Amino acid sequence: MIEARDLRKEYGGFAAVEGSTFSVEAGEVFGVIGPNGAGKTTTLKMLAGLIEPTSGSVSVAGYEAGETEMRYQLGFLPEESPLYEEMTARTYLHFFADLYDVPEDTAARRIHETLDELDLEHRDRQIGDMSKGMKRKVAIARSLINDPDVLIYDEPASGLDPLTTNYIIEFTSRLAEEGKTIVFSAHNLFHVESICDRVAIMSEGEIVAKGDLEQLQEEHGETTYHVYTTVEVPDSVAKNGRYHRAVETMAEVESIRESAQQAGGSVADIRTKESSLEEVFLNVAEDGRETRRRRRQGAEPEPEA
Amino acid sequence: MRPRKLLRIARWEVTKNAGGIDRKTAAIVGVTLLLFGAVAPLVVAQGGVAIDQGIYRVGIDEESPLYPVVEDDPTFAIRDPGAELGEEIDVRVSFTRAVSSGTTKGEAALSELRSSVTAYNDRIMRGEANQSAAFPVSVTLNYVERDVQIGPGGSGDGGTGDGTGDGTGGGTGDGTGDGTGDGTGDGSTGGGGTGDGNAGGNIGGGLPSITGSSGTTGAPSDIAPPFPFESLVLAFLFVLPLNFVIQAYGSTMLSERINRRGELMLVSPVTRADIIGGKTLPYFAGAMALEVLIVVGIVTLLGAEGGLFSILAVVPLVLLFLSATFLGAMFARSFKELTFVTVAITVSLTTYAFVPAIFTEVTPIALVSPLTIVVRDIQGASISLSAFGFSILPPLFTATLFFGLGAGLYREEDMFTQRPIPLKVLDSLAGRIKRARSIVVVVAMLIPLVILAELVAVAAIYPVSTAVSQTIWLSLILLSIVTIEELAKSLPVYAGFVHNRYDRSLRSALVVGAFAGLGFFVAEKGLLLVRLVFPDSLPEVQQSAVASAGPVADIGPLVAILLLLAPLLLHVVTAATSAIGGRRGRRGYAVGLSLAIAIHFAYNYTVVMLFVS
Repeated sequence: MIEARDLRKEYGGFAAVEGSTFSVEAGEVFGVIGPNGAGKTTTLKMLAGLIEPTSGSVSVAGYEAGETEMRYQLGFLPEESPLYEEMTARTYLHFFADLYDVPEDTAARRIHETLDELDLEHRDRQIGDMSKGMKRKVAIARSLINDPDVLIYDEPASGLDPLTTNYIIEFTSRLAEEGKTIVFSAHNLFHVESICDRVAIMSEGEIVAKGDLEQLQEEHGETTYHVYTTVEVPDSVAKNGRYHRAVETMAEVESIRESAQQAGGSVADIRTKESSLEEVFLNVAEDGRETRRRRRQGAEPEPEA
Repeated sequence: MRPRKLLRIARWEVTKNAGGIDRKTAAIVGVTLLLFGAVAPLVVAQGGVAIDQGIYRVGIDEESPLYPVVEDDPTFAIRDPGAELGEEIDVRVSFTRAVSSGTTKGEAALSELRSSVTAYNDRIMRGEANQSAAFPVSVTLNYVERDVQIGPGGSGDGGTGDGTGDGTGGGTGDGTGDGTGDGTGDGSTGGGGTGDGNAGGNIGGGLPSITGSSGTTGAPSDIAPPFPFESLVLAFLFVLPLNFVIQAYGSTMLSERINRRGELMLVSPVTRADIIGGKTLPYFAGAMALEVLIVVGIVTLLGAEGGLFSILAVVPLVLLFLSATFLGAMFARSFKELTFVTVAITVSLTTYAFVPAIFTEVTPIALVSPLTIVVRDIQGASISLSAFGFSILPPLFTATLFFGLGAGLYREEDMFTQRPIPLKVLDSLAGRIKRARSIVVVVAMLIPLVILAELVAVAAIYPVSTAVSQTIWLSLILLSIVTIEELAKSLPVYAGFVHNRYDRSLRSALVVGAFAGLGFFVAEKGLLLVRLVFPDSLPEVQQSAVASAGPVADIGPLVAILLLLAPLLLHVVTAATSAIGGRRGRRGYAVGLSLAIAIHFAYNYTVVMLFVS
């Protein structure tokens, strides 16, 4: 559904995004995560056709990004909710329905249903008088006014209270279940973990890791073995009548088993814990920083004394 | 651009802004306007609001011959002549003798009474059947257009008017130009004079009542300095509403940029042209509606002539105001900055449109403003097609250019950045440059703005001609024109360097410089072609503005070809000079530009001195 090849965006010699290549299948929820300034928003805007790449190409639903036909297939939600505050929610949505050539009666029905689903009251109140959460719901409703196949959501729950955040994340999950293709960016990795099928991690303009959660955990995460023994073994800590030690390899687990047997005891329990997405992200970000530091040092060697 | 989408955006633009006004406010504004509309004509019909009504108390008997004078003048309040002078009355009239109270107010009342008597007598005499008897001395004034020729060797012929009377009351007057500046009248035998009706020669001749004058008798007392008051009023009437419209328009365009509000329109299935056109259309329509109302009002209420030319001539002016505001709104970073920008636009465009139009009857340079066409049209003067085109085409093309440059910034990457205005100017130019060849088109696009700026510069420097020597005056004209042209050629090149559109090598600078020079040459020669194909199509003032476009004197074919190609070499050399400087940054650009101006000036001065004179 979405194909991005070798995307590069340069601002006055500074590369905000460099060499990004990825694809998103139809019906997939694809997460883009990364620290501030990593190039997530620029990437999403290039997908939406808002920003023209310096080089590389993007196609969405078979159309080149920015083409008029592609825009009919797309619902874009920017990080902020830049709405016309002097309009009412209903008028605002009708305005965009008009721009997307949605027939008047279809638009009226769709607006009614979407605002019902989003639980938005006061539809005839001026947007300027609404709370931040209500404005966000109006912005989400706008992104759905043309019933698009592809949704690009940049931090949809940014700056909202936990209740509204959960509501919006659940709503996005429902959209995914309906078969929409969603590209989703967020700082809250728990949300990304809960709704995304695949994730790309960006750092300093580059995609440094991508794949489904299992792949990422395998490649960039750590598995910790929590071994509980009946007798004390080296480096173990007494806990609830047993001795606990955490190790990272099976060889170490074997070594603990042998130590316990030699001491006349045994292994009572072994528990495995995988890294969370947050830990994977931190590992990848740290690895990325280190790689770039080394690369910079290689390109610019320390001056000789 | 798709008209259907454009109209939708226009419709919603109106709806959106209407949403900002609640019904109660709209009702109050509506009622106020209605009341104003109903009361204003009544006030005007009754001669306006007389704040001095009954200010002077005059003691006068109904038998006095001066009674009708006092009765007609609302300044006076009639009192019993027996009232106490100074306490109850300011002036006492006994038959035809008037005595003041001796106070300051009494003296002022007496002076006002004398003026009223004179005006009353004139009114009575104007009603006389035998005008020759009523006004035995008659003077006819004809203001003949000053013949303007810019450049050395030009001579201005003064106009004179002579009135002749044939002694039978059917005299004629004509205006001739003899360069001597004298005028004689020989109507000593008594004869009525009539003007020759030379269009544009009589101040306010075609508009009888806008200033409240009730016609002239030809008597010497009617002679007044030729202050173009009616032109001033007309020009003011047309320009004033535009300043209000652009305030609202600038706000709506800038508000698209504040908090990224316009971002969602950019991602919708509409083009930039649809958005800009749709958002501009209501303001264009509103401004045009106001202007048409003014034209219709003048034509119907005051019985003036014209109409169609006036409306057509206002179109480029409205577009110029809107386009400059649009570009300004794309440059400004906040509403505070927009205020400065719109004030600058208001002042400069009002000056451009308003000031020349005041001097509609005085000089053909007034034609640089489309309002001159409006004023001439309303005054019933004839308007040639060339004069019409000369007035409206530069602002029309300039408006197109401004919209084009602004549209270049109407995209996500430029709209929401907070860069300083000079950098935004460079952004707007760089937005049109994709490769080195693009510079040809960008520079050629700037030609309408160059022509407009040159015309305004010529008009601005023109009055200096009386204060300095011809050489200095000519140098000033040439320097201003050269500076404008070199800026037009070099700024796009510099913008390209700043935006890394091409590398900063010497070879690259020479190539883009050559392209810039070529673009300017081609566009400039386009004008020359118009001149050659339609030799009589352009007024003399434009010929002065495009004098550098080619030879103007009788010269041989070889020299003509040389002079045709020499400008190409000149433009290439000067553009390359500033490009070489521009590749080294701001300071290098300033040096390169100065050098280019110096070379261009030396060339133009030499050519003018050698051939034009």
